[in-house]
Amino acid sequence: MSDEIKAPEISQSAEKSEKTQNIKRCLTFESADLPLFISTEYVVEIINGHTITPLPLAPSYILGIINLRGQILTVMDLQAYMGKEPVVFTPQTCIIVLDIEGIQLGVVVDSVRQVTDIDLSYTKPIPVKRQQRLLNGMVTLEDGSVLMALDCPALIRE
Amino acid sequence: MDNGMDSMMDTYLYETNSLLDQLDEMLVADEKEGDFPTDDVNEIFRIMHTIKGSSAMMEFTSLATIAHRMEDLFFYIRDKGIENLDPAHKKELFNLMFRSEDNLRAEVEKVEKGQPLTENVEDFVSEIGNFLTKISNGEGAVPGNKSGEKKAEKTPEKTDDKKTDTAAEQPAVSSSSVSEGLPQDPQAACFIHVFLEDNIGMENLRAFMIVNAIKECDIETRSYPPDLESNADTCSTIIENGFYLAFDSKDDAKKALDILQSQSHIRSYQEIEQPAPAPSDTAVQETPPVQEGETETKQASTTAAAAHPASHAPVKQNLISVNLQKLDDLINIVGEIVITESMVSSAPELAQLPSGSYDNFMKSARQLRKLTDDLQDVALSLRMVPISGIFQKMNRIVRDMKQKLDKDVRLTIIGEDTEVDKTIIDGIQDPIMHMVRNCMDHGIESSRAERVAAGKDPQGEIILSATHTSSEVVITVSDDGNGMDPQALLKKASEKGLLTKPESEYSKKEILALTMLPGFSTNKQVTEYSGRGVGMDVVKKNVESVGGIISLDSEKGKGTTITLKIPLTLSIVDGMKMRVGSSIFTIPIANIRQSFKITQEQLIYDEAGNEMVKCMDSFYPIVRLHEFYRIDTPVTDISDGIIIWVESSDRSFCLFVDDLLGQQQVVLKPFPVYLNRLELKNYGISGCTILGDGNISIILDVLSLHTAAIENR
Repeated sequence: MSDEIKAPEISQSAEKSEKTQNIKRCLTFESADLPLFISTEYVVEIINGHTITPLPLAPSYILGIINLRGQILTVMDLQAYMGKEPVVFTPQTCIIVLDIEGIQLGVVVDSVRQVTDIDLSYTKPIPVKRQQRLLNGMVTLEDGSVLMALDCPALIRE
Repeated sequence: MDNGMDSMMDTYLYETNSLLDQLDEMLVADEKEGDFPTDDVNEIFRIMHTIKGSSAMMEFTSLATIAHRMEDLFFYIRDKGIENLDPAHKKELFNLMFRSEDNLRAEVEKVEKGQPLTENVEDFVSEIGNFLTKISNGEGAVPGNKSGEKKAEKTPEKTDDKKTDTAAEQPAVSSSSVSEGLPQDPQAACFIHVFLEDNIGMENLRAFMIVNAIKECDIETRSYPPDLESNADTCSTIIENGFYLAFDSKDDAKKALDILQSQSHIRSYQEIEQPAPAPSDTAVQETPPVQEGETETKQASTTAAAAHPASHAPVKQNLISVNLQKLDDLINIVGEIVITESMVSSAPELAQLPSGSYDNFMKSARQLRKLTDDLQDVALSLRMVPISGIFQKMNRIVRDMKQKLDKDVRLTIIGEDTEVDKTIIDGIQDPIMHMVRNCMDHGIESSRAERVAAGKDPQGEIILSATHTSSEVVITVSDDGNGMDPQALLKKASEKGLLTKPESEYSKKEILALTMLPGFSTNKQVTEYSGRGVGMDVVKKNVESVGGIISLDSEKGKGTTITLKIPLTLSIVDGMKMRVGSSIFTIPIANIRQSFKITQEQLIYDEAGNEMVKCMDSFYPIVRLHEFYRIDTPVTDISDGIIIWVESSDRSFCLFVDDLLGQQQVVLKPFPVYLNRLELKNYGISGCTILGDGNISIILDVLSLHTAAIENR
């Protein structure tokens, strides 16, 4: 799957100025070897180093709960939620705390890259749409790299 | 009295409105589905039952009548099973339901605005009746003796309207025609001559109620005509000449005047002294005119009101109302402070301090610990409110039912200033009301003669008490009435098909517990207050929903005692921590009976290979938590771990865990919303708590664990 995504689409830089701009501040990160981004509107904070208490009988993508300054927060393994191997914890592993439509959720990702402005009007649909449960678009940055948009509301959909 | 009415009105409006909201929600959802689930049918029935009861109590007859008819309808539907209704009827039923909801709402709105209620709801009521006849296809008659009830209910409704009408007019003073017909009662020192309002209907019974109200306050009085209650012919006499109350002393008469002030439907009254030997004409001249009498009594009533609170008024306090959410936030933060405090003062880095500064640090740390403990105590006490609010409401219920059922009963209240968490107060109000009603209706014998024959005080007694233990509030409702007959209960249960094993195998405790099954009611007569078997199962459900336990004890001929044991607060649990693998679980201490070690030899196996153990002459199944929750642990040998014998309501079983870690008070936190989809509650996991070291422990609910691990094994 990752090969598919890497296919570059650099050709639109010429028409950039013509289109109406829709610039959003986004957080970029990596999970399951995919370069992903989400709008910072959803992001509450980024934490690491918390002890995760596992929940009995929970599905494998729910790693458990953590005590975030007195609030109980569910922690989800994004990689496992995409149907891959469970995440391997490294010093770079972080938990991104999201607030999606009022529901707080911690998502474990391999590493967090940076916060950058992305013009969402250049988002293209992903060719193999049917197989995308969590991703809802892709965009090419000025440096030529490709990022996939993570569909946050899809994370809390039952 | 007025204040009491006001707060009761507030509660009534709040309750009724929220029930109607609930009904609306349910109807809208069900209509989308096009069907009523059985649960909703029960729920609608219960809502109508509650609205009927409380509206009747507040004398809002139109509301009570509509709700009563709807209850009848749903009683029928519940009895026959909703699935037996054909789709066309269901559609009609939805329309009918929405219309009756609208009708009820319109009436409630009128109550809110203080407008007179609709006088005639016959049209709508008969519509419900028609529908009921239609769906029953004429096969069983409409439940309840309709016509009789209707008559009885219609009259007070009329009078309510009349009352509002006449209230505007000045009460007519009639003092001229008083003199004649002063009753012959040589003992009486003093009479009160009372005239009722015009055209109120059932004058004799109203007069009788007034007499009763006076007698209730321990004032001896005799009424003339004496046979008010039984003789309907006295009506005309009362309409024309009013009626007389005779008192042995003037003091009694003065007190009675106070009471008369609070009674409705009285047009005028007059105090008349016994005309010593002299003819009655002179006596009348001495009697003060009505207005004077009234001003006098008003003064008397204010002094009486000032004196009363000392004796039996509810505990009054200086109060402000605070948003419950803010309180919860505060309590959460305080909980965090306590935990953080213990984290700071036990930090391993402290050991590296030079000894002098370490001592100084510990000194301040101890001070901080004390303050945080105090802070926690105060914060937790904020949510506690005295139970007197509920208990006082019962006074009113007993008083009203006493008159309606014509039973002589006193309510004794013990420990009304016991404090309970606000959430729990809200949860136990309905159960207590149900139980008190049951006591009044079924518990206490129907006549004084019956009680005297059984060698009891002719006046029945209901005792409502609340006490604290260290972690629970114990509330008991007891009556000294008939008690329950185990054999009759058993027979009834077997008729209803509620028995699950041969009759001979039921112990007394088990038989009494049968009364708490849905659909069980021993009273054949359906009354305004109770008798359809909605009572005790709902009570049990409500009590269990706030984590309480209900138990019933009854001695035939001596009375019934119902005991509720309810945790002091929902948010703080006295828990036992235990380890399974790397997980830490907490079980409320209240559920733990015993913990012990056993060896492999003590294990007993059943056919399916389930493990059991014998404790105190009974056998209990063992649930290995590590297996049930699929947790990796090195402790799998039964002799390495520890057995915990747990119990909740009537379920008892054993858990196998690695080790016990000790007891701790923990603050119960619900799981994040996101986890609702996992339905962990169905697997015995009720919430979690943050331990002193910042780690999380999962709190187990013994009852649902039993359901998940044993019943669905």
